[in-house]
Amino acid sequence: MPPLKEKKIETALKTGLTRSDFLKTMGVGLAAMGGACDWRWPHAKAVPEIDRPEGVTPGVARWQASTCGGCSASCGALVKIRDGRPIKMEGLKKHPLSQGGLCARGQATLLDLYDSGRLRDPLVNAKKVTWADWDTMAVAKLKALHGKPVRLVTQTLPNPSLNAAIAEFLSAYPSVKHVIYDPISSSSILDAHQKTHGKRVLPHYQFANAKVIVAFDADFLGTWISPVEFAADWAKGRVPTSGSPKMSRHIHFESRVSLTGSNADLRVPIKPSEEYSTISSVAIRLAKILGVPVPHVGEVSTSASSESLDQAAQILAQHKKESLVVSGSSDLSVQILVNWMNSVLGNYGNTLDIQKPSQVRAGNDAAMEEFVKEMASGKIAGVIFVEANPVYDHPLGEKLAKALAKTEWTVSLSNRLDETSSHVSFVAADSHLLESWGDAEPVPGVITVVQPAIRPLFNSRPAMETLLSLAGKTQSAYDFVRSYWKTHVFPKQKSSHNFDHFWDTSLESGFAVYQAPALSHSSFSSVSLLGLKNSRPQTKNGEFEFVSYAPVNLYDGHQAFNPWLEELPDPVTRVSWENYVQFSPADAKRLGITEGRMVRVSDGKKSFEIPAQVQLGMPEGVVAAALGYGRITADDIAANYPITKIKFFPIEIAKLYTANVYPFLNSNSVSVAAGSEMHPLAKIQRYDFQKDPYLQESRHVVREETLEEYAKNAAGGGSSSDSSSGDGLWSKHDYPGHKWTMSVDLNRCSGCAACVIACQAENNIPTVGKSEVRKSRDMYWLRIDRYYSGSETNAPANPTVAFQPMTCQQCDNAPCETVCPVAATTHSSEGINMQTYNRCVGTRYCENNCPYKVRRFNWFDYERDNAVQDLVLNPDVTVRQRGVMEKCNFCYQRIRDAEITAQIENRKIHDGEVQTACVQSCPTQALSFGDINDSNSQVAAKAVSSRAYRALEELGVKPSIYYQTKVRNVKS
Amino acid sequence: MTSATATSEILRPPLVEGGKTYGQITDDICAPMEKRPPLGWFLAFSVSGLALLWGVIMVTDLIWTGVGTWGLNKTVSWGFAITNFVFWVGIGHAGTLISAILLLFRQKWRTAINRSAEAMTIFAVMCAGLNPLLHMGRIWRGLYWLFPYYPNTMGPLFVNFRSPLLWDVFAVSTYLTISLLFWYMGLLPDLATAAAHAKGAIRRFIFRTLSLGWSGSARTWMQHEKASLLLAGLATPLVLSVHTVVSMDFACALVPGWHSTIFPPFFVTGAIFSGFAMVLTLLTLSREFLGFKDYITLKHIDAMCKVTLFTSMIVGLAYATEALIGWYSANTFERFFFINSAVGPYHYCYWTMIFCNVVTPQFLWFKKIRRTPAVVFVISIFINIGMWLERFNIIVIGLHRDFLTSSWTMYKPTYVDWGLFIGLFGLFFTCFLLFSRSLPMIAMSEIKHVLSSEKHGGKQHA
Repeated sequence: MPPLKEKKIETALKTGLTRSDFLKTMGVGLAAMGGACDWRWPHAKAVPEIDRPEGVTPGVARWQASTCGGCSASCGALVKIRDGRPIKMEGLKKHPLSQGGLCARGQATLLDLYDSGRLRDPLVNAKKVTWADWDTMAVAKLKALHGKPVRLVTQTLPNPSLNAAIAEFLSAYPSVKHVIYDPISSSSILDAHQKTHGKRVLPHYQFANAKVIVAFDADFLGTWISPVEFAADWAKGRVPTSGSPKMSRHIHFESRVSLTGSNADLRVPIKPSEEYSTISSVAIRLAKILGVPVPHVGEVSTSASSESLDQAAQILAQHKKESLVVSGSSDLSVQILVNWMNSVLGNYGNTLDIQKPSQVRAGNDAAMEEFVKEMASGKIAGVIFVEANPVYDHPLGEKLAKALAKTEWTVSLSNRLDETSSHVSFVAADSHLLESWGDAEPVPGVITVVQPAIRPLFNSRPAMETLLSLAGKTQSAYDFVRSYWKTHVFPKQKSSHNFDHFWDTSLESGFAVYQAPALSHSSFSSVSLLGLKNSRPQTKNGEFEFVSYAPVNLYDGHQAFNPWLEELPDPVTRVSWENYVQFSPADAKRLGITEGRMVRVSDGKKSFEIPAQVQLGMPEGVVAAALGYGRITADDIAANYPITKIKFFPIEIAKLYTANVYPFLNSNSVSVAAGSEMHPLAKIQRYDFQKDPYLQESRHVVREETLEEYAKNAAGGGSSSDSSSGDGLWSKHDYPGHKWTMSVDLNRCSGCAACVIACQAENNIPTVGKSEVRKSRDMYWLRIDRYYSGSETNAPANPTVAFQPMTCQQCDNAPCETVCPVAATTHSSEGINMQTYNRCVGTRYCENNCPYKVRRFNWFDYERDNAVQDLVLNPDVTVRQRGVMEKCNFCYQRIRDAEITAQIENRKIHDGEVQTACVQSCPTQALSFGDINDSNSQVAAKAVSSRAYRALEELGVKPSIYYQTKVRNVKS
Repeated sequence: MTSATATSEILRPPLVEGGKTYGQITDDICAPMEKRPPLGWFLAFSVSGLALLWGVIMVTDLIWTGVGTWGLNKTVSWGFAITNFVFWVGIGHAGTLISAILLLFRQKWRTAINRSAEAMTIFAVMCAGLNPLLHMGRIWRGLYWLFPYYPNTMGPLFVNFRSPLLWDVFAVSTYLTISLLFWYMGLLPDLATAAAHAKGAIRRFIFRTLSLGWSGSARTWMQHEKASLLLAGLATPLVLSVHTVVSMDFACALVPGWHSTIFPPFFVTGAIFSGFAMVLTLLTLSREFLGFKDYITLKHIDAMCKVTLFTSMIVGLAYATEALIGWYSANTFERFFFINSAVGPYHYCYWTMIFCNVVTPQFLWFKKIRRTPAVVFVISIFINIGMWLERFNIIVIGLHRDFLTSSWTMYKPTYVDWGLFIGLFGLFFTCFLLFSRSLPMIAMSEIKHVLSSEKHGGKQHA
């Protein structure tokens, strides 16, 4: 149903003027105008399509299921295509693994497609060539190298068809050997399983079945292996059940502050060198409780309190078969102990599966090191990198780069001239996943399709086709994938008897499921427990232990040219655009380092210099820095924002101070020297606590309680009330139709920021660049606030962390509405606080008066002079001019879309039919959206739950977003 | 100084010193208009002209590039511009007070200063009015939307009468109109005198035209008096209403430190306080450099110092009340606002303000100080600084740490912020200096009136 106001206007229009009258008047007017002046429209030809593609209506979006190519986890994705351009990536609701969400990086792969820095043609010796020439020259080279050792280097490819293409290639050239590595490696887990279970596999973790999770440095909600799937599963146990409430318990030991650690019930900071000792201590305790032989672990000492160790062991022992121990360590002994614990707890087959193991990590660190050694010694005659950039993302990258110069024939299949492809002679311009056919099988039995959403923007070719044509098979990727499915997938499934039908339904749903055979493996071999030792030595005096990690925004760095991800702040540190060296407050104080001080980190041979960041919760004696940064020319992205067409006076453009930390991936101890320069970080949040620094009073914007308290409160009924405010001066708004409302479950929210990117993509939100972020001028309509316990003047060393998605609360008594002098922000009859860009003159009074500070002002013209990147813009949402205010409007374009559809179909809108971009993308389903006037809706139920509250409701602004109190599973 | 007695002549020192005749008064007051200006004037004019030019350049940058050239951000979206706005509107108030309220109260001593005080009001309101215009994101749209007119071609939406900013538009434009009229009305007889006194034909023609054919007949005088009184009556409520409306920009908002019922009287007193300080600044300078010592006497300075001291105490009381109520409200946000003012990142602004506005005026208890123009000048500068900071503190300290701690941040003015700040002073002083050379700075007719009443034993004192 359209809003009432509009109906009134419609009827008003209808009475005065008929359509024909209007046309007559217009005709006369136009004729008069034409006669009076010699003014013409610019010439443009609109040619109708002779054969309109079936099912395509200009202006109407098409949705197409595909697979996300952000990382090897290969989540299900839904691509929104509007007039031939993909404009949004969303999660695929029914996908058995990712379950409907899509992470920030996955959604941002869309912007990678429209990266104007992509390669536009294949190159030979840095010169443009045609594909035919490229193929001829490459095949000639390959033939010339016949018999000589050639290597094909890839990352893990959970893509059956691509692997089949590689197999074709390898069989055509038998002297080529395939080397697999992963920048963010899980090699030690695979190796440990080789030792303990006789198969080099990565378990498929099932967090949904785990009532107790004990994790050691595994950021499974942020970056570890398959974060969307894990987060969705993890969240299932995080909501207290009704009755006598229960929820999962999550204990996290880690040597930095990760997103996952921040969400744990108990977070214990430990040094990396203590990881082995800590896990051994838990193992010993566990063995004693369970009465099984204590594994021989040698001498152990850890700074983790024996209380926390006891607790971990006890609670694990109480939850046999429904607990899970995970570790992200690269230490084989640690991983063996993890396997032992999972094994004695009977978790194999329940919370982790190695019969149908995950296929998203197959890299072998040892094999890759061996390859670099061979390269350096000059043994290798040729090397082909397929969508891999080891010069950047491997610790031995520099060595490899030098070796490449000496290698006879070097090839890279890459989408840009990156660190590796700029060192090779043959570069094949690789297509983006949204331009290619393909498939992925992250777990046996779940196979997804990759289908193109657009024709290649440039003269590029998918890797599959390049490899096939080198193998002498000129076959399109489409034909190859289809034939692969016909021969390999179709026979395994039972749902369909007709391949065409099977193929079509798979394309429609985006995936196919079949019963994969279980992989046999041996039971836990206790022999593997022999010779366990701590491979990470203590550091010398004055040195720091070093931790490098994949950050939530840039992950391994292959998307470092993506402005959305560059600007996306780290969920915990809230710093964007740069990496930094993290110090514990005690260490920082000792060294006299403050935030923004440049520090040089050196491992004796090499060093890097980036700004320092002081992080509560960091263990003392440890410094951490993020991978994924420090890529060549990535600085240009920062320098590009904000763009103004004519600069009258110069606008500050901040240089990025980043470093590539991959060379230090295996560095254990480093020395740190504070520099003299200061380069303040681009922090999106400047104050970290809910308590103010002087009165130490909490603002209770995030409400928290323990499980016990919750049990008590739940018995007492709802905690949210409308009594906070009187009737007020103004008459109440009437919401005769819908009243749109959102609910945010703080127990489910992990703070992963998927919603932030979803919002940015949907609503054409500009990125503003480092200097602007530093001036607190980020443009996010939706942000995730992160609060530590304590206050600035009274900060605990290891605080608890709370995340809170914060966006326009669509207040019923909106303070912004009354103060706008030109009525540019008004209240809709559906409870939405509307912003009329056309009317806005930019007094910014509304922004001042908003208690939630969710309004954003266009300080400059943020529009981009980038014809390629502009293709990403959503035509349903206005691109704002400078000088106007903007903010969340609950994705009003989506609401209207659903309303129109419902009206055409003459029905009411179903609950859950309208999904805002943020709600859609949330991997943990922390957000829900609906009509609170519909008493059967999910949001109506949540609004009266015992956990419901509204932020700052004591102000009487009557917000429309209901938060669900965060319940921690700790003893009160 | 309300009722007069026959002995007042003995008790009261004369309002004009030096035993002037009417002719001398005309000569003295017309002198700056007719003679070549002294070197000091040229110096002052070049300094203020440069400041104005710098302001124009900065404002060009501002409009060309965007409001982002200022140091504002997502949390603090008002800064220098609105501070300047409130400051300059406040300055204007003293002028209206002196010319209108003191006229109604028949305060004779006002005659020497009312002309320049009124001019100051007009220039100050001009400076003030520029700020809300320039601070808009889309100034080219703002003018169009803010002044509603009929027929409204843009559909059912009209301006939002609930917004204090709209009230501002009305309040300030009314204020400017009335002040301008009042000032011009007072100028009429003097323009005629100036025309008569002028040597050149062109000059005479201009003044004659501007005086709207003033004949000096009893009828004209009577009508002039009536009109002045009426306009004074109209202007008097404006002294209270304009700054009350301005204060509602804050009082009607939700921001801690803004949302306060004390604001209207607090702002009005503050305005008078700062206005008197500015009048003192200008008069101590002009009596020194334009040779008006016989007209703007120490007695005038003394009287104004007393008003300043009185208003400073009201302002001080308001600060104390605000802090007390902040504590008494037991509201976290309110309490935090005051603690944060005193010890937070902007504490130096807060304490400078207290020092300038509450401590420095206390020196005015001493008659000796009140009658030493150099010291009064220094004190007036302190008060000007303090009152500018007061507005800055309310706006920026209120905003930078409001409800949600996650959005707390700092506001740092950029060179463009300072550019506007300097430019406005440039505009103000340029206007004032031009005024001092082109129009009679002291109301000749009124001075003569006072002179005559004094000569006749003050019997006409009402």
